[in-house]
Parts: sequence; structure tokens; C-alpha cells
Amino acid sequence: MTNIHDINPGLPAELGLYNQTDEHASCGVGLIAAINGISSREVVLAGIQALKAIWHRGAVDADGKTGDGAGIHLEIPQEFFKTHVRTTGHEPIDGKLAVGMVFLPRTDLALQETCRTIVETEVLNFGYTIYGWRQVPVDASVIGEKGETSRPEIEQLMIANSKGVDDETFERELYVIRRRIEKAAIEAQATGLYICSFSCRSVIYKGLFLAEQLSIFFPDLLDENFISSFAIYHQRYSTNTFPQWWLAQPFRMLAHNGEINTIRGNTNWMKSHQIRMAAVAFGENSGDIKPVIPNGASDSAALDAVFEVMVRAGRTAPMVKTMLVPESWSNKPVMPEAHRDMYSYCNSVMEPWDGPAALAATDGNWVIAGLDRNGLRPMRYSVTHDGLLVVGSETGMVQIPEENVREKGRLGPGQMVGVNLKEGKFFKDRDIKDRLSAGQPFSEWVQDLLTIDDLKGMEELEPSKLDKAALQTHLQAAGFTLEDLELLLKPMVETGKETLGSMGDDTPIAVLSEKYRNMAHFFRQNFSQVTNPPIDSLRENRVMSLKTRFGNFANVLDEGHTQKSALVLDSPILTNRDFEGLLTHFGDLSHTIDCTFDVDCGSEGLRNAITRIQREAEDAVREGRGHIILTDEGTSESRAPIPMILATAGIHTYLVNRGLRTFTSLNVRAAECLDTHYFAVLIGAGATTVNAWLIQEVVAERCSRGLFGDVSLETCMARYKEAINQGLMKILSKMGIAVISSYRGGYNFEALGLSRALVGEFFPGMPSKISGIGLAGVQQKLLEQHSLAFTTKKPLSIGGFYRFRRGEELHSFDGPLIHLLQSAVTEDNYGKYLSYSNGLANMPPINIRDLFDFKRAETPSDLDSVESITQIRKRFITPGMSLGALGPEAHETLAIAMNRIGAKSVSGEGGEDQKRFKPYENGDNANSPIKQVASGRFGVTAEYLSNCEELEIKIAQGAKPGEGGQLPGFKVTKLIAKLRLSTPGVTLISPPPHHDIYSIEDLAQLIYDLKQINPRAKVCVKLVSSAGIGTIAAGVAKAHADVILVAGHNGGTAASPQTSIKYAGTPWEIGLAEVNQVLTLNGLRHRVKLRTDGGMKTGRDIVIGAILGAEEFGIGTASLVAMGCIMVRQCHSNTCPVGICTQDDDLRKKFEGSPEKVINLMSFIAEEVREILAELGVTNLEDVIGRTDLLHQVSRGADHLDDLDLNPLLVQVGDRNVKNICTLEGRNEVPDTLDAQMIKDASAVFDRGEKMQLTYSVQNTQRAIGTRFSAEITRKFGMAGLKPEHVTVRLRGSAGQSLGAFAVQGLKLVVAGDSNDYVGKGLSGGTIVVRPSNRSELTPHHNTIIGNTCLYGATSGTLYASGQAGERFGVRNSGATTIIEGCGDNGCEYMTGGTAVILGEVGDNFGAGMTGGMAFIFDEKETLADRINPETVLWDPIKNPYWENVLKQFITDHVKETGSRFGAMILSNWESKMPLFKQVVPKEMIVHLVEPLQVNEDTEAA
Amino acid sequence: MTEKMLKFVSIEQGSPEKRDALERKADFDEIYQGYIVEKAEEQASRCSQCGIPFCHIHCPLGNNIPDWLNLTADGRMEDAYELAASTNNMPEICGRICPQDRLCEGNCVIEKDFNSVTIGSVEKYIADTAWENGWIKPITPQTERSETVGIIGAGPAGLAAAEELRKVGFEVHIYDRYDRAGGLLTYGIPGFKLEKDVVERRTNRLADSGIIYHLNFEVGRDATLEELKTKHDAVLIATGVYKSRALKVPGAELNNIHRAIDYLTISNKKSFGDAVPSFDDGTLNAAGKNVVVIGGGDTAMDCVRTAVRQGAKSVKCLYRRDKENMPGSAREVQNAEEEGVEFIWLSGPDAFVGKKDVKKVHAYQMRLGSPDQTGRQAPEPVPESGYDIPCDMAILALGFDPEDLPTLFDTPQLNVSRWGTVKVKHDTMMTNMDGVFAAGDIVRGASLVVWAIRDGRDVAACIEQYIDTNTAANAAAAE
Repeated sequence: MTNIHDINPGLPAELGLYNQTDEHASCGVGLIAAINGISSREVVLAGIQALKAIWHRGAVDADGKTGDGAGIHLEIPQEFFKTHVRTTGHEPIDGKLAVGMVFLPRTDLALQETCRTIVETEVLNFGYTIYGWRQVPVDASVIGEKGETSRPEIEQLMIANSKGVDDETFERELYVIRRRIEKAAIEAQATGLYICSFSCRSVIYKGLFLAEQLSIFFPDLLDENFISSFAIYHQRYSTNTFPQWWLAQPFRMLAHNGEINTIRGNTNWMKSHQIRMAAVAFGENSGDIKPVIPNGASDSAALDAVFEVMVRAGRTAPMVKTMLVPESWSNKPVMPEAHRDMYSYCNSVMEPWDGPAALAATDGNWVIAGLDRNGLRPMRYSVTHDGLLVVGSETGMVQIPEENVREKGRLGPGQMVGVNLKEGKFFKDRDIKDRLSAGQPFSEWVQDLLTIDDLKGMEELEPSKLDKAALQTHLQAAGFTLEDLELLLKPMVETGKETLGSMGDDTPIAVLSEKYRNMAHFFRQNFSQVTNPPIDSLRENRVMSLKTRFGNFANVLDEGHTQKSALVLDSPILTNRDFEGLLTHFGDLSHTIDCTFDVDCGSEGLRNAITRIQREAEDAVREGRGHIILTDEGTSESRAPIPMILATAGIHTYLVNRGLRTFTSLNVRAAECLDTHYFAVLIGAGATTVNAWLIQEVVAERCSRGLFGDVSLETCMARYKEAINQGLMKILSKMGIAVISSYRGGYNFEALGLSRALVGEFFPGMPSKISGIGLAGVQQKLLEQHSLAFTTKKPLSIGGFYRFRRGEELHSFDGPLIHLLQSAVTEDNYGKYLSYSNGLANMPPINIRDLFDFKRAETPSDLDSVESITQIRKRFITPGMSLGALGPEAHETLAIAMNRIGAKSVSGEGGEDQKRFKPYENGDNANSPIKQVASGRFGVTAEYLSNCEELEIKIAQGAKPGEGGQLPGFKVTKLIAKLRLSTPGVTLISPPPHHDIYSIEDLAQLIYDLKQINPRAKVCVKLVSSAGIGTIAAGVAKAHADVILVAGHNGGTAASPQTSIKYAGTPWEIGLAEVNQVLTLNGLRHRVKLRTDGGMKTGRDIVIGAILGAEEFGIGTASLVAMGCIMVRQCHSNTCPVGICTQDDDLRKKFEGSPEKVINLMSFIAEEVREILAELGVTNLEDVIGRTDLLHQVSRGADHLDDLDLNPLLVQVGDRNVKNICTLEGRNEVPDTLDAQMIKDASAVFDRGEKMQLTYSVQNTQRAIGTRFSAEITRKFGMAGLKPEHVTVRLRGSAGQSLGAFAVQGLKLVVAGDSNDYVGKGLSGGTIVVRPSNRSELTPHHNTIIGNTCLYGATSGTLYASGQAGERFGVRNSGATTIIEGCGDNGCEYMTGGTAVILGEVGDNFGAGMTGGMAFIFDEKETLADRINPETVLWDPIKNPYWENVLKQFITDHVKETGSRFGAMILSNWESKMPLFKQVVPKEMIVHLVEPLQVNEDTEAA
Repeated sequence: MTEKMLKFVSIEQGSPEKRDALERKADFDEIYQGYIVEKAEEQASRCSQCGIPFCHIHCPLGNNIPDWLNLTADGRMEDAYELAASTNNMPEICGRICPQDRLCEGNCVIEKDFNSVTIGSVEKYIADTAWENGWIKPITPQTERSETVGIIGAGPAGLAAAEELRKVGFEVHIYDRYDRAGGLLTYGIPGFKLEKDVVERRTNRLADSGIIYHLNFEVGRDATLEELKTKHDAVLIATGVYKSRALKVPGAELNNIHRAIDYLTISNKKSFGDAVPSFDDGTLNAAGKNVVVIGGGDTAMDCVRTAVRQGAKSVKCLYRRDKENMPGSAREVQNAEEEGVEFIWLSGPDAFVGKKDVKKVHAYQMRLGSPDQTGRQAPEPVPESGYDIPCDMAILALGFDPEDLPTLFDTPQLNVSRWGTVKVKHDTMMTNMDGVFAAGDIVRGASLVVWAIRDGRDVAACIEQYIDTNTAANAAAAE
């Protein structure tokens, strides 16, 4: 198997917590194609030029010169190479020659020779002849040190088509040869051999340099004879910096910007698909092409490999894209039926590869560009009059004279454009899909699909069969507690929703608990941060799909009506009735496997049972049983259940390894299964469907007692199922996956406390950092639980996992200790604090750090010589808790306390009252030194951003990483509404992702923007601990962050579903250690400060944090406790009885916190730190940062564990000479943009307050124009200190991203040309006008003029754009006014204020989660009703002349500013056009409008 | 969802109706009415469902209070009872007589300004509802065991232990020197706090469950401890403490000065309708007398309120410290005051005056001195502040000490502390005699009923384990 270590020996192996499979890459991508298919020099030059204009989307390594890689994929200029052949004395034969672009080991000459031999042998063995090797000329002077050390020998092998086969066959055989070479190289251990391309059609030049240096490094590309009909180019931004020449893109077929979230599942499923697939397409060579996906391939490389094999097997690039990365289709009303049928068919063939993806690909005939189903990457295109298609991540990368542009467009979610080079024709999305869907009789193939309602028995009642006593016994055997049934199950049945909780998780991690914890407790859900975005499964549910199909997965390459009457379910969750129905339907095709084992089985009982069920499953599949049922219903006095997660994973993995998994469905009946997390783990482990049979018995029993009122069992189960479905979608969406079929079998989890051996066997590829319980331990715990149920027959325990109960699970915030701490801080009594701290230390282990102890020095240092409390306290932070969660008193108290001691408080999301920006009269400063920028951007104005020392980008939070939030209307008081620029009483939604961060280069852009709007502030990025956080942190460091905050899983006031609090994220100890190691390994550690938080309570916690690598420490919950919090854990209910987490006036009066109490806490902790430092024999906290040699593991957990190994946390990377603490003074500066010049030119404005007009030419590399300028205005005049249009800046060309971000009043930017993503992000009063150039011949309202996510988080100001906007226009706008002429999907999502006028069609899901503001849509084609998300808004023609006039005035202004011809046309035909407008108003806003929607009394609309 | 709960912000605290003081003075019935259904559910819904429920933490039994409040609010009374009974052998009794203001309710986190959830009243409502509906049935152990346990004392500790031991199938014998089971529950606590049929239905249920009572049985007279020990596989001493503390002042020997325990027992016997000569002859009847009760604990409260009901001419209560520092429940003081009792705080008697019968109590005014280590202020007399209080009947309610068990039981080898409490090993609750356990007040000194129940439950587990170990060892030896 190929492994990247075989290819590149320079990569560090697993070291400490670093795992190379965690690495991510993202980037800029694009293509250029001659529509007529004729090669030209112009295409090549345009490609080179484009690469020079996307440098800012890549990253530079710590050495300042090594890029993360760039490359270009071009047609082979046959003459160019044939000339070379001739110079060597050969005369090339007719037909195309093939070129192999090969990386060889450079320094080991013997090995190099071996590699050459391997390559030649395989070519010759296949019957082709060789013209010889060509050493590719390179100019190595332009690459950095790391790039140079790892630089391969780059040569081209020229191959003659001596067999005279057609091009198609030649290509396919070249593919097989290449695969054979790769295999032979591995066998010969010929490391360092990598083939970039091996084709008679195209060649790839790529390497580890900055994008702009491509053509310097490869002088070939400057040769006049180097011509091509297409160019696919790519610039990489990877999270790591380990030099990898081969990882540069493009790959053989495609270049990819984004991330495949479902890679683990896709890779697993491919193992099954490839068997039949290879046999059909490659016959006798089928062995050569397996595995299709080389082991260790990155997500992009894996996608490329599958793409390639499907193309080589005869499908076109557009069809392959459609199958691998389909559009979302199941909930799209506007999609043509033929397309839907095609997708429905594709859905049954292959699981989608899901995740943000901008793809540029070629199969030799087609050159296409496509997007993922969510449209999470930008893709803009232009078509020129002279026949070029230019596609790229940004507009303006290739400079085209405006008059030459025929069309400017963008790709929407799931869309595609392409050129068929053979036919010489350009295809837009609709054209391609019409053609594809007409190519096969898809509609015929999908017409007889069955749904669950077609099965027999569905009209009958839900069955139940256990009596009360048996039910109790089974519940006990499954380890349930009353708490599970009351706190989790009951709300699901009553409301169809999961229950919420607050204040994080302070119970032991499962592996440290003495209580029975079912298998699911050892799994942590994956979630997105930075490198890909989570999805909002509620507001964007149109893209989500739980559709579960039985018996698909025939041969991926087959076409035709492969299965008759296949069954498709809307959800994998089955009730008992559903399950019975299914069993009947399957009949003889199913096989039921009893997943229990004899309790008197000896020590190997569980192991033997798993072996038994695996064999049984294999036999069943080989007998042709297409459906396997796994069940633990056989649990009895003599038989204990195999944990169904293990049973499922055991069989799934076993069948995958034997290539049998796609021949059967795996249907699981699990007693233990109750909450969404358990369902998710089962499906993630490979289950096709899941049935919680025992839970249904509980519901039935309760239902029969009337506990749910007059509701039938059927309704109860429907609600329960709905809650689970919603929860599943949330779990999928938090890691950015939209489709359950791609999630299934993907092990999208991290094990926390499962033994490595167990994980390796059952969940291959899933990370398990600290090892833990193995099969023996699991068996022991199971049997103990079984005995409680069947032998001692104990009643169910009350449960104390979520809320403390005596004798149940431990909670580290312990009642009496809380009171002790509170009296310590009230009385300023350090002795009491120490009793509290000792009390905590004496508890059994709860956290990972509790297993450590310090290695104390033989001679402690003198306590007096240790640095002061004052010094130490400065490192403390009260982490981001928003005003909204906290009451104003509590929020201010924290800020005042922290300012008094020179420490820092974080504002949290939700803005801050501007009166706090200046110290109060009594000298107290309530201004939070750290201002948070979260996904909701509430109150994030230029002024807010200016008044701080640091800006914290909250990517995720410990309580619910990957999820958004909601501030319910009842908490939105007048003050909150003022700060958040919204309406009192109206619900506010924080989206799960930052809509301007879908990828690492987006984060770099936001950091850039923030550093412009506040030229002094450092930028912190808050991440949540999880496996792979190290490489993410490396990417963040390269994005010029100054501080990285690693939050533990256990934090927070945030309200979130209980399962999110408990099962997402890992302890900070693991994440922090990983970040510290990987940053050090990458040489990046010295330029970022590390901070950590998550349940830190004592000096001991702080010192351990320092030793594991942190420089600063967040103390959140403990500071709330100091202010009086008693862990009522009802923060989400607005009923905090101590007045901390509430907006209720009466309750707020009960607040008894004070700055002194908080200061006392901080001082006590610092004092304890000093004492520990003295014991360690050092004098400064800095002396112990990263000194893991000062820790040792003192406990390896309970006896039944395989091992609990914390050594990976203690690995020290490199030696003491490697900089492993932050030495950064000030901040990591970012390059200047046009604003530097503008500020210089506008001295008259700043010196004398004069009005000015400035004019410049711009291109896409000039980003955030106007932002730094606005910072200056805010500093000098205040955010609203200048009159509108005081300074006008005219720009010509394509403006870079973030045009006018945070622009303030007084600044007007006028662009003649177009602009990229994020126009007017955070707009704070400025005016932005974007209109086509005067020379342009485009019809503006048919073309795209601004990119994605414009006006995100805008708070005031105006944007006029004469043309269409991209996706997610006006998301989270809370006050800006805007007029555009059409927009993409998800327009005005989460909007809470302002007005949007859209003179054209809008995309899907318009107005989702919109709770404020207003929109006017010119609905000429009457598509709005299908496009709009009706959840929160109403829409209707305009019925009140007041609003008509408002609209008319807006359009008049628009015409005046932009010269919009379309706007003028509407105005001049007002009488006939006005009725076509729809007015969109949030339901909650109707009562707050200044004027009613209708003049008469009736204010009802729609 | 919690939406049914957390109603403390909108619903005021509401206790069950108390009968009018005038009306209740006339009988020995309980003064609180029960909750009506809606009220109970509504009051239960005020619970905040805390992450750390301090009510639960400060309950000696660790009652799962938030859980049964939730169930009550939800109208699931049978589930609520099942849960309440799982940690408490007599919830309706604790609901009536626990000093909730110092335990659960006193620690309720909504207490500040919002007034606590009325936990005791809801607890009483839950269990009374269960009795009314016949949900409380005799115990039927899953398996009968051959081993037997003897329990000395039918008070709360003994009863709780008996019930727990019976549940696992032991044969249980209870020995008590009184003619009725229940200990202080029956004879110590007056009916207006705890009606006697409430206790009787509990003791009867145990009898119905197969527990065998040996009443009027005095260990040391009817059998020695050693004899019981040979008869049973384990013996539990749960006698409680009955030796009244004396007041060593001049005149203490005069007539009409009584111990509270005698006074209350007689009154309770009278309420049962028994023939009680010492009451009938007027000795222990307060009717028409000026009654002075000395002491500030709950027993003193019981005495004053009993005296009121017997028709005393006046009832005064003397206590050395002030109202804030009295050990008795504040709620009881309030009830007593409503019923016409006069409290004389900071008042220390230093002599009883009279020839044969007491006529006056001479007392000094007291003041609180400087606090000691525990922060409690010691009272000291104010010089020259002496005064007289007319008194026809004095009742001493100064607390209880253990009786001399080694002598009483004729078992000198039984280890006791210098205060007379029986010494047990902390983790096994066993005395120095193998197989002899002790629990309740006789171990911890005079304390609350709820603590006695807790000890009874704990000791039952210890006894079970002891017997299991012995049985296993015997079986092994037999092999």
C-alpha cells in the first residue's frame, strides 16, 4: 500500500500528538480554457498571470520563502516535446507522444537510478517505447530553504505510442502503467518517486514555491512554443509546513480548493466499491489499480484518485463530478424533474463526497469547474468575446479588458461550468445538466423506488411486548438511569426536541469514571473549525439529507437499472413497527444475528462473541443475504449484550476488509441506544438503520400510563424520531456533512479513553490519543452491569451525570467546595481557598491533569524570589461570556476586576456598551480589553473593534463546538437590543460558521481585515481541543494570528443540547499539548502566544497548563462562582437565582458579585501558582512553559483498563534550543494594502478635515480597501464623526476581497469594474458603490458584479451594486441598506435589521432565520415562493403607499449612484413593475414596523 | 422539558393552610392541612432543578428532592412516591417533623427573596397520596433468607433498619420496652405535629411485612443482650437516648417539676385513650396551671404546645439564649407564639421556689458573651437582674443523654464513650461485640429523626454485608 512516508521520507512520523493524517490544505484555484479548443500561448500566459494574483490565498512558511505549493496543469504541447525528441537524435513517430512528469530522489543517485529503472521497465513491459528522459530545467534560486532541501530531481519521460492505439486506450494504459510503477516503487522501497502526470494529453508542472514563481522556477513555461488549450492552476495553503513537493496541486485530474469532510467514510466505502469496479473496467489489470485510493492520501488526492479511475473507466468529467459531488436535490422545488431523477439515481450509486469544494478538473476532453452542494467556496468566471473561459476563486485574477468581457458569472452551490474542447463549446450549469440527464434514461431507472409507507404493516399500531418488571431489568442491563429517562428521553417524546443544558461538563471523562458508561461515552464527535465550516442544519435544512437507501452500491461503474424496487427511507431511524415491516419485506434475504454472549464465558467471552458474529455475518453475505440484522434483544439472565457499537463496528470493518460490505445492509437493534449521540456513533460505525427497541418499550409503558397526556404511542414515537433526526442532522452538520450516506461508516469521531488496540481493530483510522479501556475492561464493566440487572436486581439508579446526585457521578464543581470558595473570596481568606484547592486535589481523578503530578525540585526556590502575584495575574483571562448570557452587572464586574489587576476580560459575542469604552468617574474601567468577533457579529462595529487591545475570533466554543446559538426573544432586553443593533424581544440567531471563514485562507483574510480596522490590536483565534487541532493551529499561525486559544470541551455558560455539552471536543490538556508540539515542530511557536481554558480552578491547573505549553489562562466558571454562581445550570432559562446569567430585572437585583471577589480569586490562584513554582525550584512562570519534564503520570487509571498513556502529551519536540515559547513583541504585521497610499494622499482630510476625492486603479490582490482608512477616521473623528461622502475614493478594476470592510461614515468607495467576496463586511456607516466600467458591454443585471458573503454583519451604511451578488448576500445584516440586481442562495439569512432591495431573482433559501429588517424583491418570474424559506418571514406584494415610496426612493438613489439601466427601466414603468415586487418582513417584526404593511386595519400579511 | 419547572419567578411560595390557632388549641390534631392536588403540583413546579441541588446535599438522607418535585409537578404521584420511598422509609413523617428550614428548605437556592420551595409539605403530600391510594403495600422480599436479626428499639432508626433488612429477606425481630412501636414518634412527639395513625400505619405495615414485634420487652429484664445475640445472626442496638438532663439548681427536688419525656409520653398515652392515672390525678395535666417550660429545643416546643392544649392558665418558655440562637425550629416557635405561648428569651433559671410544690421559678436575665471557637456565644447572667416567675408546673426540656446501657443490658463488655454513647466502628457500624451493631441517637447522641432513619438504613447495609460474609465463610468452612 502506498503511504506518504514511502513517497516522502522527509515527513516526520507520528510524534507526540502530531498525526500526519490531520493535515488540511486549502487554496486558490481556477482554470482557463479556449472555448474553441485550439491551443494557444495566450492560455498559458493567462494561467501564469492568474497564479501571480492569488498569492494572498496561499501561505508562506516560517522561512518566509517556501510556499505551500503551486502548480499548473496544461495540455502537452506536442511540438515542444517532439522538438526535444529530435534534438536527441530520434525522429518521433506519428501520433501523440506521452510525457511523464516525474519527481525522483535528488541526492541519492543510486536510488534515483533504481527509480528510473522501475519506470522504464513498466513502460516497456506494457509494450511501449521510450524516447528518453528529459531533465526539466529549473531555477532553484527562487525557492526557500525548506523547499530546496526537499527538492526532488524533476524529469520528464517521453513515451512513444509505439503500439499505435487510439488516444483513449493510450491514456487508459498509461494510467495502468503508472499504477504499476507506483506499486513497484513501494515494493522496491524506492522512496521519493512520484509521478505528477503520466499522459499523452496533459502535463503538470508543480512544486513547493510561491505561486508567482511558477514560471521562474520552470522556464519551460516561458517558452513561446509552450501552448495549450487549457490551464488548470492551483495555489496551496496548507495547515502544516512540512515540505511536500508532491502535495502541491493540481493532481492528475483535478485541483481542489476546500476540504472533503467525509473523507474517512468515502475512503472506506471505496474499499468495497473498487473490487467490482476494477474488475469491470480494467479486467485483467484490475489488480494493478487497487487500492484506488493510496493509503495516506490527502482528501484532495483521494478525490482525485477516484475521479481519475472513473474517468479512465469511461465516464466524462462532468458526469463524474455529478456523481461524486452532486448538487443537493431532495428538497429543491425549482429543480427540473429530469435532473432530480439523475441525482436520485446517482445517489444510489455512490455516497457523495461532501465538504467545501471548488474543483477545476479535466478528463482531456472536458475542462470543468464545479462547486460543492453548499457552495462554500467562491468560483467566479468570465467569458470573453475572443473565446476564453476564465474561472477562478476571485474575479480579476486574469486581467481582461472590460470591453472584451462577454459574460461575468459565478458558480452557485452544486453548479458547474465547462468547455468541451473537442466540440469547441462552452456549457453553463443548466446546459451541462440537461445534457447529462438526457444522456441516460434515469427517470425510468428510478421510477419504482419504494418508501417505508409502501411496506406491509405500516398502518398498524406500534407494538410493545415487555412487562414492567422485564422492562426494568433490561433498562438496568443497558445501564440506564432515571436521569436518562427523565432528562433526555422525556423532552424528546414531549416536544420532539433535544433538551438543553448549561455550564459545561464537570464530570470525569468516561475512562476515569467509576460508574458504568456505555460505549458511546468514549466517542467525541468531530466538528469543523477553520478548515471547513459547519452547516446550519435548521436554517439550511434544504441541503441536509438523511435519505437511507437499501441495497444500492451495486457496481459504481455500472449503468442501468441495477435494482428493482429498491427501498429508500427518509431517515435511518426506525421504530419497532418500521423494523417489523422491514423484516417482513426482506423475508429470506435477511439474516438476524444474536449479539449477546454467555455470562459464564471466561475472560475471552466478548472477544469470542465478536468473532462469532463476524463469521456469521460473512457467511450470511456469502449466502447472498442482503440484509443483516444485529440485535441484543436476546439479553437474559445468562446472556449479556455485546455493546452494539462494537458489534456494528466489528462487522462493518470486517466486511469492509473482505470487500463484502456493499453487498449487505447492516440494521441494528440496540437496547443501549437513547440519545442522538448513540445513534450517531452507530451510524458512524457503519449501521444502515438503527432501532432503539428498548427505548420504545419505555415510551410505550409510559404512554400506557398516560404520562404524555392524550397522545398515542405512534405520535410519541414520531416525536422521538423527529428529535433524533434533528439531532443527527446537527451532529452531521457540525462537521460540515450534509448527507448521511457519506457520514455512515466514516468514524467521524475521536476516541477518548478507548485502547489503541481496540480502536485499531474496530475503528481503523479514528484517532485515540491517550488509549484506555480495551475489550477485557469493556467485558468486565458489562458483566458488572448485567449482574446489577439480573442477579442483585437493583432498581435503576437516579443518575447524576448531568446534575449532581449523592453517590452518583462525581462533579468537580462540588457543592460544599463552591461554598468554601465563595466564603474564601468574600472574606479574603487564603487559608479557606487552600482548603478548597486541597478539597479538589483530594477528589478522585476527573480530568486528565488529575493523573499528573509535579516533579518537585530537591531544593525548592525561595518563595520570596518567585515573581509576584501581580505578574502572574496578568496572564489570567476571563473567557468570552457574552452580555446576553451574563447579565450586565456580572459582565461589567468581570471587566472591572480584570482591568484593575492588569489582566484581561473578553467581551464575548454581543457587543459592548460604548459608555464602557472610557473609564468611569471613579476610575473603574469596564472596557473589555479583548473584544470578541463571533459568527453573529452582533455589535461588531468599527468603533467596537477599535476599543481594545486584542480581537478574539471565536471559531468554536467548548460547550458546543461546531454549533450556532440562539438568544431567545425573552432575553433580548432594550439594552441587549441596543448593543446588538436589533429589536427588543426579537430572537437573535448566531450561525454555526463565520460566513466569512469557510477555509483557512478565509481566516487569513479576516485576520487581515481585523488588523486593518484596528492597526494596533493583536488577533486571537479561539479553537476547541480535538484531534488534529495542532495542524489547524499551524495554519492559523501562518494566517498571522498572534494568539491561539485552545479551549477544553468542558466550558461554558452557553446553552446547548446536552449531548453536545457531553460529547464534542476533548480536554484542553490534549489539545494544548498537541498545538504546542505541532507549532514547535513547524518553527511557528515563537510567533504565537498560547492560551487555554476549560474548567481551570486552581493554581495547580494553571501550572500544569503552563507546563503543557500555555502562556495565558482563562478562568471562566470559577470566576462566575466567585461572583456567586452555584451551578444551578439553568443559564438558558433566564431564571438564574443569583442574578448572574439573567436579563430579568428582579433576578438581576440578586447579584452579589463584586470586583473584589473576582480579584481575590485571581490573587489566590496566583499565590498558589507561586508556591508551586517555588516547589518546582523556579522563579518565573515562564520557566515552566513547555517543560513537560516537570510532570509525570502518577495514575494509570482503574485496573480494568488496557492502559492509560499520557506520554504523548509529555513529548518534547526538538530540544531546548528550539524556540518553544512566544518571543513575539507587538503583533505579527500584515502587508499594507492600498490604504497606506490613500492615507498618505488624504493628509488634508486628517490634518485639516477637508473634503477629498481620490482615484486609483486596483486589482484583486488589493484587499480590504477602505478598512485601514476607516480605522483612521474612527480614531480621529469617531465612527460617525464625518458627514457621509466626506471622502470619495474612485477605483477602477477588480477590487480584492473585503472591499470596504468595516467602512465608516464619511467614506465612499466607488468601484467601476467588479469586486470579490465580502464587500461591505461589517459595514459601519460607509457607502460602497460597485458598477460596471463605462467600457463594459455587459447587461449588468444578468451578470455577477460582487462576490459571496457581502454585507456580512453590516451594522449601518449603504451598498449599491449594479449587478448580481454571490451567495449569502446580506447575511447577519443588522442595519445597512443595500440595492443589488439579483443574488445567490441564502440571501439575507439571519438578517436582523436594515433594508435589502433586490432588483432580480434571488437564490434558494432566501431569508432563512431572518428575524429583523426588510427586503423588497423584484419577483418578475414569480419564483420567490419556491426560493424563500418561510420559517420566519412573510412576503406579499406591497400594499401600503408608504412602503411603495420607500422602495421607489431606494431605486431612484440606486440609479443615481450606479447608473443602473435596469433600475431606470423599472422606474419608468413603475405602474406595471411595482406590483411585481414582494415585500419580505419577518413575522416577529410585524408589530414593530413604523408603518403597517397595509393601510387598513388589517395588518395581516401573506 | 424544564418548562413545567422553574416557576419560582412567577409563582409565590404557598404552604398548606394552617388551622386557626384558636381552633387548633382545642385538640391534638395536626395543624397543617394537606395540599390540594393543584397546589401541590404548582408549588412543586417552583423548583429550579439545580445542577447542584443543595436541598439534596443537605438532606441527611440525600432525598432526591428535585426529582420528586419534578414528578409531582408532572402529576406522576406514584413515580414520585416510589422515588421518595427509595431513600426514605417514612417520607410522610419526615415531611411533617423535619426541621426543613434548617435542612433542605434552608438551603434551597431560590430561597433568597423568593422563599424556598415548600419541600416538606410536598413530601408529605406525596406519601399521604400514596397511602390514600393504597400504593404502599407490605414488603414481599424476592427471596426469604434463613438468617434473623434482632433489633432493640422500635424508634425511627430501628424501624428503618428493620424495613431495609426485611426487604432483602431476613427474619426481623424488634424488641421494645414500650407497649407500642414507634419510639419517640409514638410517645415523644405530640399528635398536633404527628398524628398517631400516621405512625401506626407505618408500624403496622412492617408487621404485615412479617416483622415480628416483641413489645413491653426490656432487654436486661426479659433477656440479656448475650441471649439475643445467640438467638440472632446479628443484633442492632437502636434504643435512642432517654435520660433527661437535669437542672442542678436549688429546689429541683420540689414536686410538680417534671421531665419533658414523661410529660409528653403521658399526654400521648392519653390521646390513645389509655388509662393514665398520673394524668387523671392531675399530676401531669397542665389544665389550669401556670406552666413554665425550660429549654429551647424542639422538645420544649412540644411541651409548651401540649400544655396549651391541656388548658394551662399560662405557658411560658425560658431559654438562656435569644431567639436567633435557639436550637429549635423557628417555625415551631412561631406556631407556639400563635397559640399563646410566651417566650422569655435570655433567661436562665437559678432556683425553684416553693415548700413542697414549686410555686415560682427564680431566673436571671442573661446576655450573650464573646463567641467561642465555633462562633457560638456563651450566655452569662446579667448581675442583679433576678426576678420571679409564678409557676405551678415546671417542665425540664434540657435535652437527653444515653442511659447506662452496659448496666441496663447487663453487658459490661459493651464499649461506650464517656458520654455513654455506644462506640461503633465507623465503617462497619459494629460495636466491640461481634455481630452487635448500634445506630441512631444511642450512637450519635440526641439528634433528628431524619438522622436516625439515615443511620438505620446505613446499619442495615452493614448488617447485610456482615451476614453475607459470615454466611460465605460458613459455607466455605463446611466444604
